[in-house]
Amino acid sequence: MNGNRFNQPLKKYYSDINIVCLYVFSIFLLSIFSIFSPYVLPEVVSQEETIILTAIVAEPKERWDLLFENALEELNKKYTDKKISVDYSVLPYSDTRTQIVTTLAGRSDLDLVSIDQIWLGEFAEAGFLTDLTDRIKLWNKSSDWYENNWQGGIYDNQVKGIWAWTDVRALWYWKDLLNQSELSPDQLKTWNGYWDSFVKLSKNLDKKIQPIHLTSANHVPDMWYPYLWMLGGDILEMKDNHPSKGSYWFPVYNSEAGIKALEFLKNQTEIGIKPQINHFWGQEFADKKFAVMLEGSWLLGQFPRDQWPDLEKKIGLIPMFPVPDNKTKTSTLMGGWLLGIPETSKHKDLAWELITIMLEPKILVPMLLEQGYLPTQKSIAEGNYSKELASTIPYYDELISLIPYGKGRPNIPEYPQIADHIRMAIEEVYHGADPKQALDQAAENSMYVLGWR
Amino acid sequence: MQKNKINVEPYLYLLPSLFILVSLLLFPLLWNIYVSTHDVSILTILKKWDFVGLKNFYDLFSDPKFYESLKLTLFFVVGSVSAQFGIGLLLAVLLNQQIKGTHVLRTLLIIPWSVSTVITAFSFKFMYDDNYGIINYVLESIGLDAVGWLSDPNIAIWSIVLANIWYGTPFTILFLTAGLHSISPHLYEAAIIDGATKIKRFFFITIPLLRQFIITNLILITVWSINFFDLQLIMTGGGPLFSTTTTSLYMYREAFEFGSFSGGATIGILLIVMNLLLTFVYVKIFNRKTSDQNEK
Repeated sequence: MNGNRFNQPLKKYYSDINIVCLYVFSIFLLSIFSIFSPYVLPEVVSQEETIILTAIVAEPKERWDLLFENALEELNKKYTDKKISVDYSVLPYSDTRTQIVTTLAGRSDLDLVSIDQIWLGEFAEAGFLTDLTDRIKLWNKSSDWYENNWQGGIYDNQVKGIWAWTDVRALWYWKDLLNQSELSPDQLKTWNGYWDSFVKLSKNLDKKIQPIHLTSANHVPDMWYPYLWMLGGDILEMKDNHPSKGSYWFPVYNSEAGIKALEFLKNQTEIGIKPQINHFWGQEFADKKFAVMLEGSWLLGQFPRDQWPDLEKKIGLIPMFPVPDNKTKTSTLMGGWLLGIPETSKHKDLAWELITIMLEPKILVPMLLEQGYLPTQKSIAEGNYSKELASTIPYYDELISLIPYGKGRPNIPEYPQIADHIRMAIEEVYHGADPKQALDQAAENSMYVLGWR
Repeated sequence: MQKNKINVEPYLYLLPSLFILVSLLLFPLLWNIYVSTHDVSILTILKKWDFVGLKNFYDLFSDPKFYESLKLTLFFVVGSVSAQFGIGLLLAVLLNQQIKGTHVLRTLLIIPWSVSTVITAFSFKFMYDDNYGIINYVLESIGLDAVGWLSDPNIAIWSIVLANIWYGTPFTILFLTAGLHSISPHLYEAAIIDGATKIKRFFFITIPLLRQFIITNLILITVWSINFFDLQLIMTGGGPLFSTTTTSLYMYREAFEFGSFSGGATIGILLIVMNLLLTFVYVKIFNRKTSDQNEK
């Protein structure tokens, strides 16, 4: 009897635990079911009138809001029997690639992605992207793209993405700060003049304003390539006798041109220009923390839209990277975003239609006007829309004039590692290393990654 | 006959836990081992994975950067754990005094731990910034030179350790406070009657009776510090140069920046081994001290 009495609360306890365990187990099973239900029940979804396309795109969000909203309106007009929408995740630049890779590696359903030009090679090689070549032939609009921009979307003779808009890096300065130091903007055009300008600005500017910006952030190679290119060098070159691939890319950035280009950066640190580890994509210039800054055309987006009409009175633009002497032609780096369709997409046709609508001038131009990006299509850059762009985007004509001098980065799968080798070399030089030694070591590492070692 | 009958019921209760344990802990671990013995990269992830045996481990042990990352991990863990534990213990003991307002203070001190690491990282990144940062602003306004908190390779790792101390110390305070509450006040009263000073009471009553809490706390904060990479990733991305690339961040970069998933998995396995070894050492030391005490 005593034993039974003793067991009563114990039994109740076990019963309670049992209920809790079952509850937790059911929740767990439900979660698993909800995760996998889209794969288990595809027919139920496709039978519905509503179609939701999924996308992963990179910040800033505003550009995608504008593009998707206008493009979807057009698409829905065409398919009156369907309700098409886009569920898009806008991620910071640094997270976008990781998210796309993990999503596609996990074979998750994804219909559209924004691709930085330098990611195309590895995404294509990995089999993440749909071949758009046949669709492009039917579309018949590829000739409207600038050749450099069109080639940026091709990998292994297949079109894997379409370069939607571009940007160029150029030299920006505050007019009043240069005037205050009695400096002519022309002095910034040559390497010697650039150094002299730093000395003059240092003497005359308030201590809270730094004379010249020099980046040391992760994208530092991007700000070194223009010097490499203007001196006749290149990042990689196709070379024969690769141990396994016959002909393949070989690192040549440690050439004389590369060393000279890196010495220019080293000299900047030696005269007192502080490399900046944090980068705010031009916000630091807009906040007048720097008098002179080499930055992309997106810098304009850091100024409030209502300031744009008078912006040319306040800030100046020199459409070039400083050159060693007046005989040398300048160069710049061209970036931008491509649109692609993942191989895992279940709505490839719709995603393709959406992309083509997004690239139509009447849809794309309002976004370019709002954000200050440059077009990759001739009909926009040179046609009727060019006047509108030129009258809205400050220094539009000057920025466009840089495109012929612009080059893209290699879009091969190994590029992220090669860029990291170059980044390390530049940082080492900033901290006192010899440019030749640093570049040779980096090139040695790149050779290993490219399979030459 | 009845004795031989197996009672299935208790095992049924274990099933949900076992299911969760296997699916959420054991499977990823085994999967990690599988990936580390194959050639899996961003380029091969959707294709056939070649078995490479221990090649990834050989490559890792031949990589000088891995050893550099281990050295940085040592700095990061020793710096973080010693300060988190030291400050945490001190504050927990101080807050355990019968003084008005300790409840409010305790709540306030927990705030850093309740903040997301991403917010912590961005906050410190901006505070340390050369141009926008409040720390250099204050230093310069009192006539001192600005410091390259995150741009100087010799200082950057310690700046991140400082951020980690701010973030992690509240956990130690909370954990050890729970331990202090478990000590009977009668022991202190008896010690006071026997004439024991505050320091003696701390070393001969508080510390020995807190030992289980201390060891658990040390294991947890050590393992967390070894695995932690959010702060490094957001604040410096591993730079300048390689100066803040701890092994856990190196693992992340290998897998997700350079697309070498098997390389990342290999480092992950070594981190697990490292954590297990350290846990074993802690427990061993704890058991030895406990048995020494029992013998006395």
